[in-house]
Amino acid sequence: MSGRDRTDGATRASSRPPTDHAGLEVPAPTVAFSAEQLGEVRRLQGLYPDRRAALLPVLHLAQETFGYISLEVERYVAGLFDLTPAHVHEVVTFYTMFFRAPKGRHVVAVCHNLSCHLAGAPAIVAHLQGRLGIHVGETTADGRVTLQSVECLCACEHAPMMQVDDRYEFGLTPEKVDRILEGLR
Amino acid sequence: MPKLTINGHAVEVPPGTNLIEAARRVGVEIPHYCYHPGLSIAGQCRLCMVDIEKTPRPTIACNTLAAEGMVVATETDRVKETRKSIMEFHLINHPLDCPVCDQAGECWLQIYYMEHGLYDPRMRDEKVHKPKAVPLGPHVMLDAERCILCSRCVRFCDEVTRTGELGIFDRGDHSEIGLFPGTELANKYSGNVVDICPVGALTDRDFRFAVRVWYLDSAKSVCPGCARGCNIEVHVNRRRPHHNEGRRVARLKPRFNADVNRWWICDAGRYGFAFVDDKTRLVAPARREDGAVGDATWEEAIGAVAGALRRFAPDEIGVFASPKMANEDLWALRRVLEAPGIRRVAFRVPPREPGDADTLLIRSDKNPNSHGAALLGLDGDGAAILAAARARQVKCLWVFGHDLLAGAWPEAETDAALRALPLLIFTGTNANATSERAHWVLPAAAWVEREGTYTNFEGRVQRFRQAVEPLGQALPEWDILGRVLRALGVEVGATRAERWFRELAAAVPAFAGLTYQAIGDTGAVLSAPTAGHPRSEPASRTPLQ
Repeated sequence: MSGRDRTDGATRASSRPPTDHAGLEVPAPTVAFSAEQLGEVRRLQGLYPDRRAALLPVLHLAQETFGYISLEVERYVAGLFDLTPAHVHEVVTFYTMFFRAPKGRHVVAVCHNLSCHLAGAPAIVAHLQGRLGIHVGETTADGRVTLQSVECLCACEHAPMMQVDDRYEFGLTPEKVDRILEGLR
Repeated sequence: MPKLTINGHAVEVPPGTNLIEAARRVGVEIPHYCYHPGLSIAGQCRLCMVDIEKTPRPTIACNTLAAEGMVVATETDRVKETRKSIMEFHLINHPLDCPVCDQAGECWLQIYYMEHGLYDPRMRDEKVHKPKAVPLGPHVMLDAERCILCSRCVRFCDEVTRTGELGIFDRGDHSEIGLFPGTELANKYSGNVVDICPVGALTDRDFRFAVRVWYLDSAKSVCPGCARGCNIEVHVNRRRPHHNEGRRVARLKPRFNADVNRWWICDAGRYGFAFVDDKTRLVAPARREDGAVGDATWEEAIGAVAGALRRFAPDEIGVFASPKMANEDLWALRRVLEAPGIRRVAFRVPPREPGDADTLLIRSDKNPNSHGAALLGLDGDGAAILAAARARQVKCLWVFGHDLLAGAWPEAETDAALRALPLLIFTGTNANATSERAHWVLPAAAWVEREGTYTNFEGRVQRFRQAVEPLGQALPEWDILGRVLRALGVEVGATRAERWFRELAAAVPAFAGLTYQAIGDTGAVLSAPTAGHPRSEPASRTPLQ
């Protein structure tokens, strides 16, 4: 959407007081990247003709660093790009891989799309819910595992499958799921 | 300049004209939601599809520039079928709550559905539900279910106010317009998002459920809220007086003027009309004697004023004209002053707090006609008049509209001046602390109750028309002043605002040649400032963003 980049406004003062777009005082951020990470942010911003394109990789960096994308993180990242917090909120809510609340140490995402569904994904999800004592979308009380049910992860030939953190697990059975869960600390 | 053909009409347009604007030139309306001439192109609603020769598929007109030799057709079977499908798509999750929707009657979903609708809904699924009646800020209410995600409001806040409060959050059929959590839509122009919302998603909290829009009548007018003089329409409810708690003025809407306000007005102007139907309105001439107030007739009041102007020496009379009076009133006042030769006249009362201003529309001078009052030679020293009243040199003071006690002058000194006066006359629309002291009160018609012209800070003279009858016995100031002139034995030819303006244009060089006809709906700029009358504010034009 054009016009979102706040740096192109000729009338916008370059050194604005620390207020948000509604004119409210912004509290000093308690989230902040390290100097090294800020260098990475600048590098990412320099990779694209329009530096807003670096918003996604910077949000992933923020999620790695702060655990999840809180409203405070959104404001902080908006400041790094001179965008409005509303614009960053648009991006974060559009994509499903940004966590907007604290997540578990491990994320288990079971594919619920057509191939996996036909191959028994609903039973796998039911088994996981029973073992973990939570529903899809929730995190165990000890903060160990967040359970998700997601769209196709492009491994239909191995259905039913799931993603555990950054690994794919194929050909799931309740027994295999139990072994995988035991490995998650 | 590209020449093209639209539905068989040949048209030549400036380079950079899109097909919606090009079609308008030959009287062809291409339906659309997200396109707005004052905002960037979003291509979001997909309703403006047209067929272009040698193009395989229908194309959106908003994002297609007119090109040499282009042959455009807007009513082919394929385009009609496309529109029908797009309307169906926009209405998939629409709640169809038109009977209780404030937008009903001016809703573009309704208007376009009448022409392009499917009339045979195929949806069987439960609709997606979203938040309803969510206050976004002091003036705007959101119904997310009615929203078609055209993004006009988002682009308005990004591009016009540059405040960026709004966004489209989540995705697919869960997408909805909203604010960053914990913030509100409270910029100085927030009401405009209601105007540009083509559906009932954003409604005006001030107007919601007050009157159904089909009962409203409209008059072209000018906002009296500051020296800009934004062009507006006054919407009044005359046909259902039992609605809206008897308030006649229902809402103000901006009226496009390329040189003044484009499509916008500020919230202060939009919601600044409550005084018109307020309980403080002065509705009958009144006389105060020994602290007791009694109604009087216009004959008695006019007689008393004329008598005072005769009885006191010209130097014993002071007049506070108002920069909220129309040019016609101010000219009539000048005629009244000239009759006995009154010289103590001023119109500026400095405000206690300086008015806010910005680079978009809002001017710090909160009066519509300071420039006109200055051009008509009424720019005297108000503080000196009050000092003369305290010194008992001025014995009769005639105040138009102002509350002298509410300005920046020390209240105790103003109070002493008013106390020292043997005769205080007040003419205005509403009671205030000054009118409470007046021996004679002459009720004036509000700007929506009469005709007239204001001269804005750039020297643009603009007409405002009558939308409703004056309340009670109130009269336009030019009428009150004309009656006083006649009582003073002066022959008065002018009996209508337009006649007063004609007299003014013949007498004051800056207004030479101007007529109501020449001013028209968009105003006329004065030829040159009259020497000796300083402009009320710098005349340099602040460009609109």
